[in-house]
Amino acid sequence: MSEQQKYEPKIVAFLCKWCSSAGSDLAGVSRIQYPANATPITVPCSGSVSPMYILSALKKGADGVLVSGCHIGDCHYMEGNFLARRKLHLVKELLQFCGVEENRFRMSWVSAAEGAKFAEVVKEFVEDLRPLGPQEKLKAKRA
Amino acid sequence: MINVQDIRDTARDLLAKGEVRAVIGWRAGSRGMAAEPCVITKPEEADSLVWDPTCYHNLALNLVNDRKELRHAKQSPGAPIGIVAKGCDARAIVVLLQENYFKREDVYIIGVSCENSGVLDEKKLATQLKGFAPTAAAFAGDDFSVTTAKGENKIAAREVMADRCLECRTPFPKENNTALGEDKTGRDIEPQFAALQRFEAQDEAARWDFWQRQFDRCIRCFACRSVCPMCFCDECVVDSIEMKIAPETTAEEKANRIRWVERSATRAENATYHMTRALHLAGRCVDCGECERVCPVNIPLRLLNNKMEREAREAFGFEPGASIGGPSLVASFRDDDPGEFIR
Repeated sequence: MSEQQKYEPKIVAFLCKWCSSAGSDLAGVSRIQYPANATPITVPCSGSVSPMYILSALKKGADGVLVSGCHIGDCHYMEGNFLARRKLHLVKELLQFCGVEENRFRMSWVSAAEGAKFAEVVKEFVEDLRPLGPQEKLKAKRA
Repeated sequence: MINVQDIRDTARDLLAKGEVRAVIGWRAGSRGMAAEPCVITKPEEADSLVWDPTCYHNLALNLVNDRKELRHAKQSPGAPIGIVAKGCDARAIVVLLQENYFKREDVYIIGVSCENSGVLDEKKLATQLKGFAPTAAAFAGDDFSVTTAKGENKIAAREVMADRCLECRTPFPKENNTALGEDKTGRDIEPQFAALQRFEAQDEAARWDFWQRQFDRCIRCFACRSVCPMCFCDECVVDSIEMKIAPETTAEEKANRIRWVERSATRAENATYHMTRALHLAGRCVDCGECERVCPVNIPLRLLNNKMEREAREAFGFEPGASIGGPSLVASFRDDDPGEFIR
């Protein structure tokens, strides 16, 4: 990146197939303007997001990782998001414990009807990430 | 205090009656004073068993290895296997039972209580002895009796005990078939998670500065993984070396196989490895502290595991190794789990 170029945070977004992914689609078809920094990856359920996905994304140079799923009680698989909440709470705590900035990892519940909320979540995330600068702590240095 | 003869008699009886096919215990080691794990199969070998402050090893690991050998040889276990277990060893066995690694009737637990002491920390002991090499160590009430070339020394246990033992609340193996020694569950020698609290008092930059130095130092010898009774997976996620390659496997498939973590010892890979291990041990680690003891570059691995342990307790009311029938930490949930961090 040349110095003139403005730093744009790269976000990897793991979106559940049933809610958040549809929510991001809705944001698109509704023509809601939001930053194009998030790379969406559709997963079957937020409960299927392994901590490895998050650590791996950070290792491969993501500046922030977003995990988004259905609201509590709305999971297509009944309890996937309950499991995600517990598992990713541990990931969040561990990242902070090791000194990775709190704002590098974010989780949200976005339903298929909440296109506007999805746009808001991404916008907020990008704003929070920008002052942090590029994520260098967990990024693998490759020659 | 436990008379070592009681352990030997119990093991001899069990083997003589054929109630167990072998007993896993400790015997005098060949490296200085330290005991070493052993598996005895004959009643007359029972006299080689020892019980002293150098019985560091978590023998649940040998139980896992026994299981793996049986499976490899395609044998059924037959009679149960006996195991001499400290409080932490027994908790590890409970976690393994919880995960159905083997059945309760496949293992005969000879519980030994650490009572008011625990195992030695060789580094602390070396400082105390001022350069004299210890040749033997024994329990002596709340003290340790350590022999060097200069004679016998009485050292207060809490001066030279391993940190994990100082913080231990359950020195008595609750899950047992027969137990020796007094039940001192709930003892309070030193506050739990003291090192963790001191570490967390630092700010983010200081925390990262600390961990980056630790992760830089890691040589990826995988000793922490090898010594851990909970790391029993046949193929570990951090080294996917067992990809089946057939004649029809394409170059693309080989190139694109998922490697979550590389084996090279660079900071980012090491950080990912240690964080993954901490997460895989969350709700399973019983804080036996073996990973930290065997680390050749002194990475304070207990800090990571303690963090997960305390988080599981405070956020989810979960205690690893507490009961066999209980659910596992990440496969269960409560309606009121904390979720304020979610937008």
